[in-house]
Amino acid sequence: MTIGEWATGLRYRYVPDHVVGEVLGRKWVDNVVPITLLAAVVIYLTATIPNFISLGNLSDISRQIGEFGLIVIGMTVVMIAGGIDLSVGSNFALANVTALALLNVARWPVAASVVATLGVGALAGLVNGLLIGFLKLRAFLTTLVILTLVRAIVEFLLQIYSVRIASSDVEAPAWDFLGAGSVLGAPVSVIALAAVALAAQVALTRLRIGWRIMAVGGSRRAAYNAGIPVPATVCLTYVVSGVLTSLAGVLYAARLSGAGPDTGLGLELNVVTAALLGGNSVGGGRGSVGKALMGAVIVSLLTNGLVRLGLESGASSMVVGLVLLFAIGIDVRWSKWRHRLRAKVYVSPAYLKLPPAPKFIAGASSPYAINDRLRDVEIIGMKEVDGPEDVILDEDGHLYCGVRHGEIVRFLAPDHVRREVYAHVGGRPLGMAFDRAGALVVCIAGMGLYRVDRDRKAQKLTAETNRSPLSIIDDSRMRLADDLDIAPDGKIYFSEATVRYGFEEWVVDALEGRGNGRIICYDPATSSTRTVLRNLLFANGVCVAHDNKSVLFAETWGCRVSRYWLEGPKAGRVEPVISDLPGYPDNINRGSGGAYWVALAGTRTPSYDLAMTMPGFRRRMARRVAADEWLFPNVNIGCVVHFDESGEILETLWDAEGENHPAITSMREHRGYLYLGGVTNNRIGRLKLADADPNWTGPRSYWGATP
Amino acid sequence: MRMGRIAATLGLALSLTGAAAYATAAGIDDPRRADYFKDFAGKTIAFVPVTMGIDLTEGWAAVMKQQADRLHMKLEIRDPHFSADAGAQAITSLISEKPDVLVVHNPDVNSYARLLKRAEAAGIHVIQINMRSNYNSDVYVGADWIGIGEAEANAVLEKCGPGTSQKVAILQGQPTSGSDSGMMKGADNVFSKHPEIKVVANLAGEWDATKAQSIISTVIQQNPDLCGVVGFWDVMDLGAAAAIKQSGKPIVLVTSGGGEQMACDNVAKGVFYKEIAYQVMNQGRDINDMIATVLETGLPAGKLKAVIYSPQLVISKESLHPGLCWSAAALKK
Amino acid sequence: MFGRIKSALVSQERIVLVTAVILFCVFSLFLKGFLSAANLLTLVRSVSVLGVLGVAMAIVVIGRGVDLAIVATYAMSAAWTLRLATQGVAIGPALLLGLALAVAVGLINGLLIAFAEIPALFATLGMAAFVYGFVRFALVPLVVVYMPANAASISWIGGGFVAGVPTPILLFALVAFLGHAFLAFTKAGRFIYAMGDNFAAARNSGAPVRGLIVLQYALSAAIAYVAGIITATAVSSVNTNVVNSSLIYDVILVVVLGGIGLSGGRGGIRNVLVGTLLIGILLNGMTIMNIQYTLQNVIRSLILLSAIVLDSLVNPRDEQTEQQGDI
Repeated sequence: MTIGEWATGLRYRYVPDHVVGEVLGRKWVDNVVPITLLAAVVIYLTATIPNFISLGNLSDISRQIGEFGLIVIGMTVVMIAGGIDLSVGSNFALANVTALALLNVARWPVAASVVATLGVGALAGLVNGLLIGFLKLRAFLTTLVILTLVRAIVEFLLQIYSVRIASSDVEAPAWDFLGAGSVLGAPVSVIALAAVALAAQVALTRLRIGWRIMAVGGSRRAAYNAGIPVPATVCLTYVVSGVLTSLAGVLYAARLSGAGPDTGLGLELNVVTAALLGGNSVGGGRGSVGKALMGAVIVSLLTNGLVRLGLESGASSMVVGLVLLFAIGIDVRWSKWRHRLRAKVYVSPAYLKLPPAPKFIAGASSPYAINDRLRDVEIIGMKEVDGPEDVILDEDGHLYCGVRHGEIVRFLAPDHVRREVYAHVGGRPLGMAFDRAGALVVCIAGMGLYRVDRDRKAQKLTAETNRSPLSIIDDSRMRLADDLDIAPDGKIYFSEATVRYGFEEWVVDALEGRGNGRIICYDPATSSTRTVLRNLLFANGVCVAHDNKSVLFAETWGCRVSRYWLEGPKAGRVEPVISDLPGYPDNINRGSGGAYWVALAGTRTPSYDLAMTMPGFRRRMARRVAADEWLFPNVNIGCVVHFDESGEILETLWDAEGENHPAITSMREHRGYLYLGGVTNNRIGRLKLADADPNWTGPRSYWGATP
Repeated sequence: MRMGRIAATLGLALSLTGAAAYATAAGIDDPRRADYFKDFAGKTIAFVPVTMGIDLTEGWAAVMKQQADRLHMKLEIRDPHFSADAGAQAITSLISEKPDVLVVHNPDVNSYARLLKRAEAAGIHVIQINMRSNYNSDVYVGADWIGIGEAEANAVLEKCGPGTSQKVAILQGQPTSGSDSGMMKGADNVFSKHPEIKVVANLAGEWDATKAQSIISTVIQQNPDLCGVVGFWDVMDLGAAAAIKQSGKPIVLVTSGGGEQMACDNVAKGVFYKEIAYQVMNQGRDINDMIATVLETGLPAGKLKAVIYSPQLVISKESLHPGLCWSAAALKK
Repeated sequence: MFGRIKSALVSQERIVLVTAVILFCVFSLFLKGFLSAANLLTLVRSVSVLGVLGVAMAIVVIGRGVDLAIVATYAMSAAWTLRLATQGVAIGPALLLGLALAVAVGLINGLLIAFAEIPALFATLGMAAFVYGFVRFALVPLVVVYMPANAASISWIGGGFVAGVPTPILLFALVAFLGHAFLAFTKAGRFIYAMGDNFAAARNSGAPVRGLIVLQYALSAAIAYVAGIITATAVSSVNTNVVNSSLIYDVILVVVLGGIGLSGGRGGIRNVLVGTLLIGILLNGMTIMNIQYTLQNVIRSLILLSAIVLDSLVNPRDEQTEQQGDI
């Protein structure tokens, strides 16, 4: 090994390239832009204004943030459902003048005034909602007209009441408390905001109505076709916005008690700006209460800071305009480029140096030399099965295999001619095993570990394991459960090939050559699932050893079979069994005479082995070359390897011509025959084994004589 | 001997003169002077106008700045730009920053009242200018609005006597502002004694010339024989003037304002019949004097309760002369 | 086929036009003095600036954009012109500089939308705030700018008469005519329709969409400048605070009310005229009926509301055909 290779190995071992792509794939990275902006605003204002972040000032600002935040949450709810409510500025002014007129002129009690004002807000929202939800008017235009209408009404009311409001001052402690009071140091408006934010968050993410709102915003048509009452849902969002706006108006009225024509003028622009800066999108589909709050805080701090900076006239407007342009610009670029960038950097190849491959050309002295043993297999289910990744036989000799249509197909003994669908499981079945009760336990790609009992009912055993603490992607969910085996105590050991890719992307995992696979153990006694081994190179075949003291597992891209000790002095340790296979091992199964079978799904090639030591080259390829022109591992020809407990190779079976079984992913020995399956094959092969025990069966090897 | 005596006398005289000359050069120190400057150095004046960028506030700010610079004080201007909410934010944060004097120009009588009370409770002297609030703070410096309202009404009466339609429109700024309530009262005082005058419209232009133009053109169309308009602020009333000009009718427009050059120009052009002016520069000096007073007397905030009404200046064709008005544009050069 | 005929007959433009005609007839019959030539001139004059701004907005909206910076451009470029004149710049160069400012704003709008791909709604919203702030901060320190004596030579623009017709009306007519000629007869104008109708199709068939976007915003800014100068010379001053008023909403209403859909590709200058006239007739009629100014605003908004409700009733939108994100 040269120093250069050594350095490359170190570099790719310790620099976590894959994190970038994983971070970009998370939904929360959308919040990076607003959070950065918020941090920038806070840092700038703290640096330029003495005592900006002092307790006194924070509590003063927070009173305004409380009012403003309520309106932004209302706007966000509307925006999540795909609308926009421009009428908030006028509705705010309407609430202000209504509350003051009821309290100061009509002399209503405080509680009644507040409730009536909220009612007026709800009414204004209802008008918007009826027009937009039920009459299907355009939100932008309609709320614009309502904005001018309500503003005209406010001016009309002011003409009548403003002087009377100004000339009478009501002494009401409850009113003063709303405007100037605090609870445990937090202004009333902040308490109101916190309560509303919590309620809105729960409603949006946990309640049916919230899901409906999300659905309507995500795709109005799909929501309609799914039977969601779209008009009522849309209508409701405007009512929410109206009520929250009027609540803010009441708090404002209590704070200033001033009925001027400038109240709420242009407020709608600030509110929309805040909602957008937080990361909510116009037209629905993306939004949350958290984003609303973030936007509200940014805009409030900015406007407050700009007033405090004492800038010359116009400067603050200039800054707000620039910030809006900048933030939206970044946001547009970000959402546009995030997915493209992620697609580019998600694939992050690692350094993988395999031991030299043994020669396997015909006539070579190694035990892997190519032969023609598989030429004369019998064919079962020709063109009746599509992709039987694994095959298995029960004690009665019925042959089971999974097919691509999400079914487990059974060929009935003794001749395996009659075919029936044994069970529909809904996903692509991969590895299979019989448990003690004779139920079929199946790994299903994308779904997890399932069990099909003898009356053919499928039931989920597990689809989740413990999440690794530092993993960015959520690795608790199973993406690609691959093969399994069952220990005598009932524990099911199964492999997950990769946590970064789905079944159809197995080749990308090959290109990456990073240990993304793992072995997971499911214990039916406690129904618990835990990850046993991590960072395996495409963990694939799993087989409990004949003595039940260890588990053999294959790592496809590592071209090796290893042993994981369950008990004994080496319990919990892993040691190699075969470390230099000439190809890519798939399923491992027990054979008669204490031996094992492992299928090689393909063979190694010098070019691909070399490429695995050049991660930079593969990364460039992944970024610049179309996926269908990538360098692929060779999975066109494979073989079956027969080996014993110590890893000694007993024999290999090839189909040199590649006619019947070019690629093999599984094999089962049963009463002197070997049954062959392949993930890309349209048939199952059956080969008579000359020197095998004619009475040996898998279920008996595991569970003894049939109960 | 004689010569010697003379010489001695002369010498004495000379030395006396010299001493006298020396004494004259030294003057007599004013013991209060050093204290005077010490009282002010490092003090902070905060100014929260309705908005900057209009003649009144720019004028006051300029005069305050002169004194602040001379006495080594800091003048901080927070511009809420016509937003009562932003102004309230500004005052709220100023309360925690504790300037020594807070000069406030209220948008209406309610919005800041509670905050101003809090400010004085926190030990900040509050000076309200031109537009007062419902809270009476240390000092009010500003126009005598009732007097101005009366003067404006009387000026309209001069032109809308018998023989005319005697129809008058009132164009308020913002009815809840400290100025409008006073001017309205003043106008009422006069018109209530003249029942023959018909007030056909009494509307608010919200300090906006464009809005004023729409309002007054509407009023003129509804009352083609309108005789006079009582406007409450010259900047806004330019819109009313444009409406009058477009109608081509000889309608009398009386206004009030800060006596800026624009007022003199428009009186000269006959756009305004009269402007009842409060002189912004003099008001600025009054503000300065009151700032000096509250700082010097050392009274705790909220004790003084002083009021200074600015004298009225009637700008009319007769009173016009160069230098009568001041120029805001010159301040900004 | 039947559906198309039906919707053509009862398009929003028709509804608004019919409403306007009915109102006109009713007012002519029942309101004394409504039908007089002087009153009709007043009627059009009162809405001519709104109409000019409407033409500017229409050009953008037809290309599936929206220009919320139009009022900021209108007020601030005109204010700078007057400010320059006040500072002693001759009126000719002052006018040119003001126009340059307006066009620069339009170009930046266009660049932000076409190249930075910021949605028009927000690009122009941000620009409106920026332009107002920048001009107030750097160029025009006062809220209100008066027309100086050396600018008297242009006061005819907003205050003059030609053959008894106020010049603002004539300028409105001229701008409307030129706008119509541009949209209907030039290649760029036809491309703007194509772009508004189906942006992707226009781009794929080779229309220079980015250039067109920049062009339409520059045009709208330039027209807004014309409106600004008309106002400035009519009232002899510019109140920059108009940027913070609801004028921008009135402009959008005039355009949309006339039947130019916000989704673009439909309508023409004719629609702006219809929308403007309806507003003008309404305002004028109510004034003659001696309805108070504040109440007039309420009634006007109610009528606008019923116009768009009526439109939605005769041309209902459907969940199945609704475009996602089309607000």
